[in-house]
Amino acid sequence: MSADVLSFIIFLPAVVAFGLLVTTKNIEAVRNMAFLTTIVVLALVLKLYLEFEPSEGIQFVTNASWISSYGINYYIGVDGISLTILMMIAILIPTSYLLLWEGRTKGYWINMLLVQTGVTGSLLSLDIVLFYFFWEVMLLPVFLLIGIYGFGQKEFTTIKVTVYTMAGSLLMFVAVLYLGVTFNSEFGYWSFQYTDLMRITTLNYNEKIWLFLAFLAAFAIKIPIFPLHTWIMETYKNAPTGAVFLLSSIMAKLGVYAIIRFMIPIFPDIYVEFSMWFVIFGLFGLIYFGIAALMQDDIKRMFAYSSASHLSFISAGIFSLNAYGMNGALYLIIAHAIATGALFLLVGIIHDETGTKSIKKLGGLAKTAPIFTVIFAIMLFANVGLPGTNGFVSELLIIFGIYEFNHTLGYISALTVIIGASYMLWMFQRAILQDRDGECLNMRDLKIKEIIGLTPWVILVFLMGIYPDIFIDKFEPTVTHYINDILKIGAMK
Amino acid sequence: MNEFILIIPILTVLTASIVLMLLSMYDKFSTKNFITVASIFLIIALGFSIGTFTEIYSVKIYSDIFNNALIFDSFSNFFSILLIFGTLLTLLIGEHYFLHRKYFKGEFFTILMFALFGMILLANANELITAFIALEIASFSVYVMVGYNSDDSKRVEAIFKYLVLGSFIGAFYLLGSVLIYGATQTTNLTEIAVYISNHSGNDLTLVYIGMTLILFTFLFKIAAFPFQSWVLDVYRGAPMIITAYMAATFKIAIFSFFLRVFLQDISNVIDFWDSIMYVLVILTLVFGTWLAVSQKIVKRMLAASSIVHTGYLLLAFLALGQNIEAAYATMFYLIAYLLSALGAFGLISHIISETSVRVTFEDFKGLSKERPFLAAMMTIFLLSLAGIPSTIGFIGKFHVFTEAISAGFASLAVLAIIATIVSVYYYFRLIAMMYFYPANASCESQGFNDKRVSTYVIAFIGVLTILGGIGSAIVFFIPVINIDSIISIAQMTVQSLFIK
Repeated sequence: MSADVLSFIIFLPAVVAFGLLVTTKNIEAVRNMAFLTTIVVLALVLKLYLEFEPSEGIQFVTNASWISSYGINYYIGVDGISLTILMMIAILIPTSYLLLWEGRTKGYWINMLLVQTGVTGSLLSLDIVLFYFFWEVMLLPVFLLIGIYGFGQKEFTTIKVTVYTMAGSLLMFVAVLYLGVTFNSEFGYWSFQYTDLMRITTLNYNEKIWLFLAFLAAFAIKIPIFPLHTWIMETYKNAPTGAVFLLSSIMAKLGVYAIIRFMIPIFPDIYVEFSMWFVIFGLFGLIYFGIAALMQDDIKRMFAYSSASHLSFISAGIFSLNAYGMNGALYLIIAHAIATGALFLLVGIIHDETGTKSIKKLGGLAKTAPIFTVIFAIMLFANVGLPGTNGFVSELLIIFGIYEFNHTLGYISALTVIIGASYMLWMFQRAILQDRDGECLNMRDLKIKEIIGLTPWVILVFLMGIYPDIFIDKFEPTVTHYINDILKIGAMK
Repeated sequence: MNEFILIIPILTVLTASIVLMLLSMYDKFSTKNFITVASIFLIIALGFSIGTFTEIYSVKIYSDIFNNALIFDSFSNFFSILLIFGTLLTLLIGEHYFLHRKYFKGEFFTILMFALFGMILLANANELITAFIALEIASFSVYVMVGYNSDDSKRVEAIFKYLVLGSFIGAFYLLGSVLIYGATQTTNLTEIAVYISNHSGNDLTLVYIGMTLILFTFLFKIAAFPFQSWVLDVYRGAPMIITAYMAATFKIAIFSFFLRVFLQDISNVIDFWDSIMYVLVILTLVFGTWLAVSQKIVKRMLAASSIVHTGYLLLAFLALGQNIEAAYATMFYLIAYLLSALGAFGLISHIISETSVRVTFEDFKGLSKERPFLAAMMTIFLLSLAGIPSTIGFIGKFHVFTEAISAGFASLAVLAIIATIVSVYYYFRLIAMMYFYPANASCESQGFNDKRVSTYVIAFIGVLTILGGIGSAIVFFIPVINIDSIISIAQMTVQSLFIK
């Protein structure tokens, strides 16, 4: 397959989006075209997935000069890690379209397409300036989505989330420039490819720490890691379903991915040195957000905290310095994206139908919407980590990883899983199962379209839970490469 | 190269101003005619300036007549092109505005051409007094244009403030020139450079003081701290399109001369200013940001934010002392700012030309529903001003910050980034107003005709802003603008300064 297929995957949604923007006003046509585009992208990614040879290296590389006076290239490619995430994005987005099918406007679909370009672009970028370019570009459509289609104090929310995330990424920008300048002064030419930046040796310890923190600021805000999470509450509450889905199940994962892709290779020694702190931070976030989720009445807010809680767990896995933790974290990225994405979309349906998201006001949904309840339950169990689901495999691997890293922390992480189970199941009992006296909420069941949309997710939940090897095989070599080679470099520095 | 070809552009502009002056005696010519005539002259001038852009050259033109006071080189040519281009865009983007404001008569365009003449002369000046005369020609034309709206009560304050302060600061410049003359016995930049490179220590004291006084003028004209206080009132009182002209094009002219001075002639004494400039960059960024955040009127917000952009430019200027690459960054940033600021100011002037209601942030509510195209273009310009990727403003900031860091000013770069973060707040607030609110009924204007020259020019600038940001590597099929080619042109033009 030609290497340009990656560029095609990245830019097709944006090109279609601009085309639709200027041509038609018919909302249905826009939606159908947008959906078709995501299906084409999915087909291409599937083909890519099958052709990908499991190895540590980067494949399907395109490297063209972009701003040559500063050595900035249009340099894209996939390895096992990014391929897995790419696959996830390509499956999740079209299915989410099916669940958002009715009642959206033209701008909504166009923004969804633009986000896809930003997300895949930053996922596949191997030049850090190019990555930054896509990273910022994907923010803008989300900004518009929240501002135009959100609820409540949406203006304040959008400004807050934008300033917050841009503050982080601009700090990263300084770090990127600093690295570029350092590279130039050491090697005599400009380059922003991460493989080149890895070779820098002239940074002193303090500089490295500052740069590491600047990068972390950008990614930790996006994920979000405690204590940089304050933007998510309002955002997840006031944003429209599509934007919440994108933020929680896709963009947050890119924050995690970026840590693996750029921070670990460039600063392996700092990564090793401070790993203990980050594991502790991750576990603390896991517990903190878990307890916060227990206290929520609004389902969407509860999922927001639960999502943050799981993402803290993922970051703990990444910093556990061994292949178990890293594989588990990657696996949880996928598992969490599926479960949380589906749950947010399902809550979106509840909100559209009943007009409320409050756990106290809901109840008895299971009676009128049995299929809905079944799928909701499956996603819930996957999220909680019930054996047989993908959540179980990933949490188990991370707990192994943390245990190997430090026994005490391993025990703690194993215990914390209980918190997740308790708030989720408690909510499920109150909002879905338990009957309301007298009044009955008329919740419709899922339409056939929506069931079709959710079916691949359900299949994935079980397939990944029962037979994880077919997926882990694809990214395992890359992870092993990371753990072995990069940590060795870190030990030498 | 034939010396006469080189002076054709500036002569064309001068001819244009005289022709327009003569035409303005007759009542039968409409404003539209004046715009057309002026544009034709500008396009001719632009054609000739681009035509001479084939090789690096440096010619002290007709030295027996002008006594080396004027220099024509690739560097000045580069700036002439920008200045003519900026003026042409201002004229065309303001077409709608000019037609709907009765007070814009033929004389106005004469003055605009004189201002351009002064600015090109400034870019070509190789001598302190010539530069002063050129600066004053341009400044006086701008003073007149600031006060052109006879209906607006704010204009008296604006023109008075600007005229008095501007003339006052001009005296500093003259004093500086006198001191330099006292030390070096010359006002010619080339000879001053020779003097500076041959002397040191006490011999240079007067030069230091003189240059510092000249620096004051520079800081005043570009509205850097501590001379920034006039900006808000003057920009507010001036007709919108003139504000655009002052913010973008006039600033380029100032930079053209001072870049020449800094690069070519006084590079040895530049270290003397480092600590002063360091503080000035910080204060300019801080004050500009503070002013911009607190504004409720969009025009004043843009004016205040132009102070912040001056801060970025000064940062690149400061880095100039350490590495010459910063000069290219400055030049690129000037282009980026020209496009985005002209776009933003021009677009607002286009919107308010039929009505005068869109003044505060609140008035921009729901613009996206009323005029989706203009709102989209405004968004592009604001994103570019904020330095968001995929716009030319991002690449501009990228260059400036990279050079600042390589010159060892990492902490200043961090401060500039923080100013950028805050700027996201005030620029995005306007975008939020346009997109996230229902339209404000009192601000709607009926029968707004969008098929006009101004609209097309806005679209053109919008396209340039995007192309300058992503370049031709990502948009494979449009090889028009390449970010690298702008930089290599800038490099080439700077080299022409060192032809002896």
